[in-house]
Order: sequence, then structure tokens, then C-alpha cells
Amino acid sequence: MMRGGGGGGHAVSEEDKLDAEQAKWVIRRAAAWLRPYRRQVVASMVLIVTWTFTILAGPYLVRYGIDQGIVPGDAGALNLAVGAYVAVAVISYVVYRAQVMAVARVGEGFLRDLRRRVFDHLQSLSLGFYDKERSGVIVSRMTSDVDSLQELVQMGLLMFVSAALLIVISAAVLFAVSWQLFLVCLVVLPFVVLASIKFQRDSSRAYLTVRDRIGQTLTNLQEGISGVRVIQAFGREDVEVGRFARRNRVLYDAHMDSVKIAAWYLPVIEMAGIGTTAAVILAGGIMATGDGGVTVGDVAFFVLTLSNLFEPLQQLSQLFNTLQSAGAALAKLFGLLDTRPDIREKPGAVELPDDGRVVVDGVSFAYGDGPRVLSGVSLTIEPGEKIALVGPTGAGKSTLAKLIARFYDPVEGSITVGGVDLRDATLRSLRRRIVVVPQEGYLFAGSILENIRIARAEATDAEVEQALRAIGVHERFASLPEGLHTESRERGSRFSAGERQLVSLARAALVDPTVLILDEATSSLDPGTEAVVEHAMERLSRGRTVIVIAHRLTTAERADRIAVVTGGRLAELGTHDELVARGGHYAALHASWAGSLT
Amino acid sequence: MTALAPPTAEPRQTGWNSPGWRLLRATCRAQWKGIALGVAVGLTWTAGKVSVPWLVGQAIDLGIEGQDRAEVYRWAALVFVAGLVAATFTGLRRYLAFREARLAEMNIRQRLFAHIQRLHFAYHDRTATGELMSRANTDLQQFQNFVVMIPITISNFVTVAAVTIVLLSIHVTLALLALASLPFVNVLAKRFSQRLHPHVMGIQRESAELATVVEESVAGVRVVKGFGAEEVQKSRLYKEADDVYDESMKASRVRATYLPALELLPNVGLVLVLAYGGHQALAGTITVGHLVAFNAYLVLLIGPLRMLGMVVAMAQRAVAAAERVHEVLAAEPEVTDREGARALPSRRTPPGRGLGEVRFEGVRFGYQAGSGAPVLDGLDLTIPAGTSIALVGPTGCGKTTVARLIPRFYDVEAGSITIDGVDVRDLRLDELRRAVGIVFEDTFLFSDTIRANIAFADPQAPFEQVERAARLAGAHDFIVELPQGYDTEIGERGFSLSGGQRQRIAIARAVLADPRVLILDDATSSVDPTKEHEIRDALGEVMRDRTTIVIAHRPATIALADRVALLDEGRVVDEGTHAELLDRSDRYRAVLAAADRGDSALGAGGDGAAARTDQGARR
Ligand SMILES: Nc1ncnc2c1ncn2[C@@H]1O[C@H](COP(=O)(O)OP(=O)(O)OP(=O)(O)O)[C@@H](O)[C@H]1O
Ligand SMILES: Nc1ncnc2c1ncn2[C@@H]1O[C@H](COP(=O)(O)OP(=O)(O)OP(=O)(O)O)[C@@H](O)[C@H]1O
Ligand SMILES: [Mg+2]
Ligand SMILES: [Mg+2]
Repeated sequence: MMRGGGGGGHAVSEEDKLDAEQAKWVIRRAAAWLRPYRRQVVASMVLIVTWTFTILAGPYLVRYGIDQGIVPGDAGALNLAVGAYVAVAVISYVVYRAQVMAVARVGEGFLRDLRRRVFDHLQSLSLGFYDKERSGVIVSRMTSDVDSLQELVQMGLLMFVSAALLIVISAAVLFAVSWQLFLVCLVVLPFVVLASIKFQRDSSRAYLTVRDRIGQTLTNLQEGISGVRVIQAFGREDVEVGRFARRNRVLYDAHMDSVKIAAWYLPVIEMAGIGTTAAVILAGGIMATGDGGVTVGDVAFFVLTLSNLFEPLQQLSQLFNTLQSAGAALAKLFGLLDTRPDIREKPGAVELPDDGRVVVDGVSFAYGDGPRVLSGVSLTIEPGEKIALVGPTGAGKSTLAKLIARFYDPVEGSITVGGVDLRDATLRSLRRRIVVVPQEGYLFAGSILENIRIARAEATDAEVEQALRAIGVHERFASLPEGLHTESRERGSRFSAGERQLVSLARAALVDPTVLILDEATSSLDPGTEAVVEHAMERLSRGRTVIVIAHRLTTAERADRIAVVTGGRLAELGTHDELVARGGHYAALHASWAGSLT
Repeated sequence: MTALAPPTAEPRQTGWNSPGWRLLRATCRAQWKGIALGVAVGLTWTAGKVSVPWLVGQAIDLGIEGQDRAEVYRWAALVFVAGLVAATFTGLRRYLAFREARLAEMNIRQRLFAHIQRLHFAYHDRTATGELMSRANTDLQQFQNFVVMIPITISNFVTVAAVTIVLLSIHVTLALLALASLPFVNVLAKRFSQRLHPHVMGIQRESAELATVVEESVAGVRVVKGFGAEEVQKSRLYKEADDVYDESMKASRVRATYLPALELLPNVGLVLVLAYGGHQALAGTITVGHLVAFNAYLVLLIGPLRMLGMVVAMAQRAVAAAERVHEVLAAEPEVTDREGARALPSRRTPPGRGLGEVRFEGVRFGYQAGSGAPVLDGLDLTIPAGTSIALVGPTGCGKTTVARLIPRFYDVEAGSITIDGVDVRDLRLDELRRAVGIVFEDTFLFSDTIRANIAFADPQAPFEQVERAARLAGAHDFIVELPQGYDTEIGERGFSLSGGQRQRIAIARAVLADPRVLILDDATSSVDPTKEHEIRDALGEVMRDRTTIVIAHRPATIALADRVALLDEGRVVDEGTHAELLDRSDRYRAVLAAADRGDSALGAGGDGAAARTDQGARR
């Protein structure tokens, strides 16, 4: 179950808030995840609690020193208080240190696990998932969502626990010391609680708005930078600068709204703290000057401890946002981990054999609940055969290719390679035997060498060079000043469109698949280079089955057979000459292609 | 590969005149009124805050110890008033500090964006988007963090000074004992901040690298799946996840070292006050109220002192960040209007000829000027006004480069390019860019509605014009079938279009601009032949009487143009009609792979299948 996308990369929405039931679910899941760290979690908790007590001990010892030492004139008691104070300070130091490390180990370990597992899961999800989800949303799972957890782990959780503990313990101790004075403190409590609730609500709304606006500003900024060439080409700099100014302003306003909320809340808390101090002095003073059973030490203790009550309260309400967005992030991450990959390996799956016979038998397919894209396609491709798929846009050529690579499973019918149904094959052997070169020559950040090695991580430099030579483009890249170590730059902008496709094709030459699928993989090459590359691809391994999808009919003509796909059906199948002679779709297509040339 | 310096904690240039400090000072000067108000408010807050412990001490001594109710009332009331002042002004202080800081952040970000928009292509080639993003985001954040602290720091500083004076006035020895450890708090806090910062930056850097791996594996998912590269991607990610973990643990170790010490030090003062002050109180040289006040003051000082220490380190970071921002701002746009740049001629001499003649004369150009062989060298080409030419040539021969030089995305190294007789470098840039319309080979569309994308050149264009452009680009039919038609949002947050559809939107965008010179860079590569047929008819209309440069590999598209220029080895090696070149040029036939076809479609002779194998082997 995927809790649907919530806008682009940095966007937020209502789903960043959890209801009680979701919160319970998240906590249960998180607890299950933390089970391997059980010991460390318990140890961290013990350390945090101990540390909180040491913080509280300070004022208590001062009170003891005053009441039992100074006021009755007992130097021994005073020295005892001092000695105890020193001991507590040292313990506090040691415990604090241990506690920071313990929390870090658990928290960072958990996050590392989470990152790995989420990414593993992303890698196991099929193309169907990537079709449905916007890329920004997927990326944000691994970035902003995990980051909001990181924030929590690094400081938030510790502060949250100790702040909550401090409030509870301080309250208990204050009550024990003097219940009368404690009742006096309670007078401000309703105000503080009401203000905190309102603050928490307002600020969580403001926080979501700020995050959303930051996201929009960053998106705008990003587009303004990555689209700068188009902007300049159309002389639109001023318009874009004006647009950005408005975004920027809107973000500023959101920041200011959230500052205003803090700016009225802070005084309330500060006033509550100092107001209570005044009230304690007043009440304590009245009781101490009378016979109310309150000592000077009690009053001093209250004055010193009150900050332990109000500061954590303020921290808590500010931390609430962190906690809430971390909870929401966890919910989304668990949701992602719960999506089952559409393409799974059967138990007892077998290796796909090195046999390039592809049999497509009565295959029908639809993307999700969409309309039928393929219906009843049957096609047998012999080992070593080169077949071209042609047809108009949207006919289903790429879809058929994707089914043959098992990016999706057919709704009806079956596809076998070397006699094995793709659904019975191991995913590893499937990916090794069947390779698809997509149209877009997508380059990763890194050198040419690294980019080609994507196809086979363990390939040596020499093997990569061999692959480049095989498709006749080694010289082209090796002669660059930095040779094959030339960085591709963002999305390969260092290279021409055709050169990017050549790198992508070299990847295919590096591996030795049984079935090679080229989905418009040569569309940016000049036809001359294209012919060379295609020829090399065939020569690389005898018996390799090649499926090419091309809009250029010259490419199709070079194939052994041509399959014409229209409206999700296999309309015609045969050699170029046969199909031209038949006078059907292909003949018409060819005529319009050829006719354009004269 | 980046043109920018890596982020470091230390500014590379130190001293008050470093660019970082200058930017910071200029900001403060521009906003001095707001900042000064913030300081004044902060000082009032200090007065209220500092008086509270003293008033509490008085209440205890004169009221409770002195057993005087009236004193109790009086001092309690004063505590309340002081609280009121402190509370009011703490909110105001925060508001003012953030207002100035956010204002500074917004203003600089705006300047940065405007500047980035004007930087030339070569600068953007060298500089990754992420680099510029982090200048306008993370670095400005550092800057903002510090500007917030300016009023707060000044009032904190005064707090520390005031408390010191109050304590000294109560009891000199006790004050010295109490305060002895506090300078260490300051020093320690500063060192903590300095030590921690590299790791904070490290976490940021490693997280960014991790994000890159994720982004690439999502954007390139078809490559990853196509080649079964999941394991490769996983191991890349594991490495990054480990790096993030390592940096985070290093940061935690720094925290574990400094935070407990920062907590411990003030306790030293508190213990000394209790020990020495307690005995003094026993001896009667100091009152209990003073002792409590001392305690309260020490607690009050801890926060401001820690902050003062951190502010020193924050200032260093802010200056370093400001310097990196300045680095971008200081980059001079290389392609700019010349002194006395002129408008495009609106009439041709001699009269009677159309507008839009483009002429290349001896053009030389390379992306790394001076190093490596130039991409273009000795390129001569004339495109008469109102005619069209197809640029044909092997992959990577420089066709796109030729197209990029006309609107001055780059300036030529030698030779010249003229439009209607005027060197493009003498033209006003905005006018030149408006006169030249280009459809890029990689389609870039903005996250906006289809209508806004098409009307990019002229956001005010009436709808009829948008629709006409879409029709001419063969895009109208599929647009009206989309859920919201022309108002459909596209891009990351919206509907995703197929490659062919995106290309057609980009063509419509260029058509709407109604340029004098139109450049189509492989603009129909993803369009299928049946559709291309339609677009071709429409384009024929757009191209009529308009100077057009078509870059294409497909004969059908090439045939759109009046003439063909064959580009190779950085110059035009042959020029003529498609038929002429097929007839006389081996190179042309090789580029179009026309040599292997004996049939009449391409109108050229060849040796059939045998030749194609040979050619493959030869090249
Ligand atoms: N991921 C997807 N989700 C939903 N529908 C899809 C998806 N991919 C393709 N389609 C639809 O399926 C149909 C067939 O698409 P396919 O990509 O197979 O066509 P094609 O023949 O390869 O076309 P082209 O020549 O444009 O590449 C089209 O109507 C298309 O809109
Ligand atoms: N931004 C750049 N920086 C450095 N070199 C570049 C850059 N862009 C292109 N080149 C190089 O300049 C040469 C010409 O590139 P160009 O993009 O003009 O080729 P092209 O003829 O358009 O090729 P294609 O048909 O593949 O699009 C290529 O060798 C390419 O590697
Ligand atoms: Mg396709
Ligand atoms: Mg090009």
C-alpha cells in the first residue's frame, strides 16, 4: 500500500500529519525495526533517564545546603551538599557522554539500515511502479523523508525524552517539596497549556506552509538554472527573474508568519515563568513570614527549579513539529516498503538458457487499469534472427519489447525465451540474457568508462575499450584530451546527442546477452554511423537475437524480418520485399517514406 | 569539473576586506535601521531579564529573611513587572532579528538568481546545477543564521557584561569564583562549533551524493533495468549510506566530547558558589538572598555565553558562505551587449529582398578555447533570407554547435556570423535572441501548463495564437485529448508526455515566437513517420519565407529544406540540393547510409548488401 504521491520533490500536504491510528501503526512498525537494537535502545533510555535526574539534582542540593546547612548553621550539611554536587556533576558528565554516543549508534545505524532497505526495495520494484509515481516523490522518500528522521535522531529524540521527563520529575519533586507552592505554580498552567496547544497547531500549519514554499522556491530555482539555456534562447530572463521574485517573496512571507507565531508564544512562556516566580515569592513570602510551613530554602528551590518546568515545555512544543514530520516520513517509508514488486521471482525459478528463440504466444496487455495496449499478439523469433518492429506512435512496439524483457507481465498469453516461460526464470539470469537499450542515451555522473561499466561492473578498462572498438567508436572518445576518463557532466551535456547514444550502445557491446532489444536506440545517430553500429552489434555474437524498434525505415529494411504493429495488434510480418509486395500497411508506410524523398 | 570552490569552513581570504566580509557589511549597512531597532529591543530585554534574579534576591533577603510582608509584596510586584518587560521584548527581539535575516536572505537570493540568468552558456556548462543550487540555498542559510544572531548577540554580550557588574557589586571574591569557569564555556563553545562544522558540512555533502545516486537511479531507471544494473546501483548507494553514517558518527563523537563539558563547566561555578558562598553565608558576610541570586545569575549566563562562543564560529562560516555567493555574483557574463550595440536592421538594402540572411565567414570555435582541436574551423556558409537549409553530417561533427553560435550562446573564436549584414556581436542581445528561434535537440519544458509552455516567448499571446502554433507543430490534436487540454500541467508535478509529444510542444514554442531565423535541431527524431508527414506539411507553412536551419538525419526532414550543407571536419564540405549531393558526394551518401540501397527511394545507386558490410568494416 503506497500512500499516494504528495506533489513534487519537496512538496508536503495533509499527509504530513498522522491521525492517532496511523501513529500507532507507525510506532508498532518502528518498534519491530528497532528490535535488533533492543539492548542499545534500553541502554540509551536508562542513560537518558539517569542524566535527567542528575540535572534535577543540582537545585535540590542547593536547597539542601541552604535549608540544612546555612540556615541552621550546620557546616557539615553544607559540605555534604557540596560534595554531593561535585559527584553529581561528574556522573552527569560521564552519563551525558555515553548517552550521546549510544543514541547516535542506534539512530544512525537505524537510518543506515533504512536507507539500504528502502533503496534495495526501490531497485526491486518494477517499471510499473516508476510509471505511476512521479520521480520527485520517489527521490524525496530517500532524501527529505529520511532527513526529517535524521533530524529527530540527531537531537530531537533525546531532547524530547529528557524534556518530557524533566517536566514530570520537576513537577513531582516540586510537589513533594511544598505542595502549597506547587499549587501556586498551577495557576499559570491553564494559560501555558492553552497557549502551547494553540502554538503547536499554528506552528505546525505554518511549518508545513514554509516547507511547501521552500519546496516551490527550490523547484523554481532548479528550473531556472537547468532551463537557463531555454530562458536565454527566448530572451525571457526578465520574466523569469520577476517570477522568481514573487516566489521568493511568498517564501519570505511564510517565514515571517511562522516567526510571528513564535513571537507571541515566547513571551507567554517567558511571562508564565517569571510570573510564577513572582507568585511563588509572594505566596512563599506570605507563608514563610507567617507560619505556613514554607522555608526560605523551599522558595529558593522553587525559583531555581521553575526554569526546569517552563523551558522544557517550550522545547516540547517546538519539537512537536519535528516529531510529527518524522512520524509522517516513517509512515510514507513503511508504505513504500509495503508495495510489492509486480515482477517477482517464483520459488524454484530456473536459469534462462543461452538460446535466443523468443516465442510470444497470444499476448495481451494493459498498463494498470488502462485500455488494452496489446491484444492477442503472437510472434516467433528464431535464434540469431534480427527482427524490426515498426508502426505508428502508440501502436505498442515499445510495450511489446518491454514485455519480452519482463518489465511487465502479460495479462494474457505467455512469452518464452529458449523454451522457458519468463515468469519461471530467475530475475538474475533474465536481466543477463535479455538486454534493452532505451532511446534516451542516459548518462550518469562520472567518466565514460564508468558509464559504460554500468552494464557490467567487473569489466576491466581493456574490456570497455574493446566494447568501444567493437562498435567502431573507440577513436572518437579516446582522442579526447582526457580520453575515456572525460567526465560526462550533468546528463552527459559534455557530449553531442549522438555521442550519448553511442556510449549507451557501447554498454550493450560490453555484455553478451542472448536477446538484445534496441528501442530507438540509434535515433540520434546519422544513418551511416547507425548502420555501422548495428552491424557490429550483430557481428559481436553469433546466434544473438536482435529486436530493433525504429522510425527510420532504412533501419527496418536491414532486418531479416519486419513486424508491423498497429493498434496493439500484429498487422503484418515478413521480409521487406514480401511486405512491399503485399501492398498493406508497410507498403503504404514505405511509400510515404520514400515519397518524401523526391 | 566545477568552476566553483568546494565548500569549506574557512574563508580563503581573510581580513575585513575579503569579499565575504564585504558582502556581509553591505547587507548590514543596507538594513541598518532594522538591525539597530533589533539591538535596542534586545537591550531592553536584557535589562528586564538581568534584573529578575536581583529582585528575587531582594525579596528573599528583605522580605522573607527580614520577615517583612510589605517588602514581599513590593519585590514580588517588581519581579512581575520585570517579567512583563522581558517577555514582551523577547518576542519582539526574535521577530526583528528574523525579519532582518530573512530579508537579507531574500534579497541576496534574488540577486543571485538574476545574475545566474545572465551568465553565459559556457559558465553553465562548467557549473553543475547542484552547485548553484547550494549557493542559493545552503550557503544563504548559513548567512541568514548569522544575520539573525547580530541583534541577539549584542544583547547577549551586554547581558554578560551587566551580570558580571552586578555580581561584582554584590561580592567580589564570590563573583570571581563564580565567573572563573565561564570564559572556558565561551572558548569551548567556539571550539565545539568549529570542530562540528566540518562534519555538518560533510553530512550535507555525503547526503547530496547519496541523493544524486537516488536521483540518477530513478531518472535512469530504464537503463538500470535494461542492463540489469540494480546491483551496481545498490553498491553505489551502500557506499554513500556508509559515508553518511561515518560522517554522522564523527559528528556525534564531537558532540559527545564537547556537549558534556559545556554542561559541566557552569556546574563548577555553581559548586564554588555553594561551597564558598555557603560558608560566607554561615559566617554572615553574605545573605542567603544573595546566594540565591548568584545561583540564578549563573544559570542565566550559561545560554548567552554558549551562544557567544558559537557566534564566533558562525560568523566564520557566514563569511565563507558569503564568499562563495560572491564568487557567483562576481562571475562576469561573457556574452553581453557591446558598447553601442544596435538593433536589427528592419529593412534590407538593396530593398526588395527579405529579411533574415545568415552568413558564416571563416568561423572557428572550440568549447575549450585554445586546448584541443576546435569543433569548427574555417566554416563558411551563407543562407539567403527566406530560404531553408538542412545541416547534415556525422554524429558529433558540430551541427548543434553551428546552431548555438547564431543566437550567441557562445562567441566565435575567429571569423564572424552576420544576420542581415550585421555581426551578431554588434546586435542587442535581447533583440538577437528574439529574432532567432531554436528548437533544442533535448527538449526542456517547464513545470507549467501546456499553454504557458507554448506561449513562453510571449506570455501575453492570445489563445488563438497559441492554438495556431500548436496546430502548425502537429501538437493540437493530442493536446485537446488531454484531461485539461491546453491547461494541462506538465512536468514533474503534472502529466508526462511522450518524447514525440514533447518535441512537438517545443516546436510550437518556437513557432509562436515568430522568429526571423528558425533553427530546428533534430526536432522530429522521436516523431514517427506517419506523424512526421503531417508535421512536415505544417512546417512547410512555417518555413515559407522564413530563414530556416534544419538539422536532421532523416531524408524526409532533410527534404523540407531548399538546400543541404554537408558538415564534416568542422567546415562545410559540400553544398547543394539533396539530389545533387546524393549524386556527387560519397561522404553524403555515407552519412545517410544511402550507399547500401539499390532501390529508387533515395535516387542513388549502390552495391546493395555487400557494400553495407564493407562500409561497416571500413569505418
Ligand atoms: N507506462 C505507461 N503507462 C500507461 N500507458 C502507457 C505507458 N507506456 C505507454 N503507454 C500507452 O500504451 C500505448 C502503446 O505505447 P508504446 O510506448 O508501446 O507505443 P510505441 O509503439 O512504442 O510508440 P512510439 O513509436 O511513440 O514509441 C500508448 O497508447 C501509450 O500511451
Ligand atoms: N558543452 C560542450 N562542451 C565540450 N564539448 C562539447 C560540448 N558540446 C558538444 N561538444 C563536443 O563538440 C563536438 C560537436 O558537438 P555537436 O553537439 O555540435 O555535434 P552534432 O553534430 O550536433 O552531433 P549529433 O548529431 O550527435 O547531435 C562533439 O565532439 C562534442 O563532444
Ligand atoms: Mg516506443
Ligand atoms: Mg546535435
